[in-house]
Amino acid sequence: MKILLIEDDREAASYLIQALDEAGHVTHHASDGETGYAMASSMDYDVLIVDRMLPRRDGLSIVESLRAEGNKTPVLILSALGEVDDRVTGLRAGGDDYLVKPYAFTELLARIEVLARRSSPSEAATSYEVGDLSLDRLSRKVERSGESILLQPREFRLLEYLMKNAGKVVTRTMLLENVWDYHFDPQTNVIDVHMSRLRGKIDKGHANPLLHTIRGAGYMIRE
Amino acid sequence: MSRFAQLWRTTTVRLTAVFIALFVVFSILLLAFIAYQSSIQIQQQQTAQIDREVDLLKRIDEREGVRGIVFAVARLSSQPGPGIYYLGDNAGLQIAGNVSGFPANVLQNDGTFSFNYDRDPAYAGDSTKGFAVVRSQVVDNMRLIVGRDVVERRGFTVIVFQGFLLAVLGILAFSILAGVVTARRVLKRIDTINATSAKIISGNLSERVPLTRRNDEFDGLATNLNAMLDRIEALMVGLKEVTDNVAHDLKTPLTRLRNRAEAALRDGSGEAAQREALETTLSESDKLIRTFNALLMIARAEAGAPSGALADVDVSAVAADVAELYEPVAEEAGMTLETEIAPDVHLRGNRELIGQAVVNLIENALKYYEPAEGKTGRIGVTVRQEAGRVRIAVGDNGPGIPAEDRARVVERFVRLEKSRTEQGSGLGLSLVAAVAKLHHGQFRIEDNNPGVLAVIDLPATAP
Repeated sequence: MKILLIEDDREAASYLIQALDEAGHVTHHASDGETGYAMASSMDYDVLIVDRMLPRRDGLSIVESLRAEGNKTPVLILSALGEVDDRVTGLRAGGDDYLVKPYAFTELLARIEVLARRSSPSEAATSYEVGDLSLDRLSRKVERSGESILLQPREFRLLEYLMKNAGKVVTRTMLLENVWDYHFDPQTNVIDVHMSRLRGKIDKGHANPLLHTIRGAGYMIRE
Repeated sequence: MSRFAQLWRTTTVRLTAVFIALFVVFSILLLAFIAYQSSIQIQQQQTAQIDREVDLLKRIDEREGVRGIVFAVARLSSQPGPGIYYLGDNAGLQIAGNVSGFPANVLQNDGTFSFNYDRDPAYAGDSTKGFAVVRSQVVDNMRLIVGRDVVERRGFTVIVFQGFLLAVLGILAFSILAGVVTARRVLKRIDTINATSAKIISGNLSERVPLTRRNDEFDGLATNLNAMLDRIEALMVGLKEVTDNVAHDLKTPLTRLRNRAEAALRDGSGEAAQREALETTLSESDKLIRTFNALLMIARAEAGAPSGALADVDVSAVAADVAELYEPVAEEAGMTLETEIAPDVHLRGNRELIGQAVVNLIENALKYYEPAEGKTGRIGVTVRQEAGRVRIAVGDNGPGIPAEDRARVVERFVRLEKSRTEQGSGLGLSLVAAVAKLHHGQFRIEDNNPGVLAVIDLPATAP
């Protein structure tokens, strides 16, 4: 993936560039708003990571300008401001996701990988398939090896989100945000308990599990 | 001088000045009108007198002939007063009268004239310059002129004008005095407020603006200022408590973190041990971040959100969501989670914070659950709307909180010493209390017989 990082904190930036490089991504870096905006509008990136408070031009105005020009590159906004209102402002400006500092790198990586996928056409798919597991978004049916699986509405949404991002790591906070629509900080095992229930319904009695726990990061569904 | 400048800047003084100006202009107009009317009145009276005298002299002439009129004019002329009389033949020679040297046209034409003339020194008062209004006509082939020296009338105008000037000066002086007195009183009140403000600015936050018993707009202002100061003081106290708590809640784990890192550095037992130490450090710092977030959230909720941040919240949905989120967790812990949620309970508020508050209460119930023989742990989440109040309650059948500690546990940032050392940030209930306060409600602990019944009691329509 080709990533543009607009971040004025040199140390944070060089750490991120190195970590993204280790994860196999090419990262360009701009340390102020004007340069960042010029780079974002002149080159083609898969994801933009934009710090909200930048010298010379603030992050939100960069995103607003890009969106006004019809640039649809997914944007992850980084900010120290974490109130609900701040998040709403960030997303309203055209950001696709919002991550509050300080964050774990695994969280950031999982989010940009999911974001980059968003721009691919599979967003509008009406059904998902992973191995012998299939989910129909219209009839709300889930089948594994031809056998129908009964899920609670919330479990369905959980699985839907995982399958939409099949092959990508999704973190617990991402699940809480996207499936439950809450941004608070619950006990870490809340999501785990739900996942183990879902796992019981999907993987139980099957030789090859589809739902995987990624240690220190989150979950992934894959063949 | 600066005092005067200050006085001039006051609204009262400016208003007074404007009113004085208006009043003076109006008085001038009024008095001028009166003077004008009076002078016209006097003029008319004089003209009428002149006409009467002319008629009288004519009749005398008819009855008694030239001798009669000459005698009458001579007699009238000899009387003191403002009367002007003249009788001359048609050649322009004066026969009788007390004034001579009329302008030529007065002696030649009929009509009413007014002109300056030189008074006869014998009759002149303090001035030899006179101003005459006369009627000139021909009577029995003679020119008869009857008139009045109107300097007396002008004297009246002067009196009127002087009185008028005096009145204006009086008004001016009185208004200025009244204005200054009022302004001084106003300034004094404002000075009191300023002095109080200055004391507060210099650090004495407990200072308040004194109230008078007048209950006027200044008292209204002072009351509002005092209310504002109360709020500021409460915020300052809150801020201090937050800083104290930040110091306690963050310094302790930071010290722990530092000690661990130091120990790992000293410890030469190999890479695996160091790796483990690093992992502990990471999870410790995650906990720190969590505590920090909780503190920030409490501080923001305590400060009161701007009303724009509040929106319609479906409390029923929030409680149901959270209960659903925690139901499997409770089950795993060997407890049951039951709900009794009235549908469609709405209020104006912050959805995330209300959600977080319910989460904290459920997590608290989970945390203090003590498994015992023959007893199933139960958590009940209820949402009710009654008499304009929204009641969100989370109850359990755990050990409960002793009655004497219940009030304390709800107080801002007060935690039972026991819970401070327990796992977690220990800020859970403080946040719940802050959220309740943000929504203009209360948070209290009731007895669930046995166990804790944590109640968030909010007004249904928060202002």
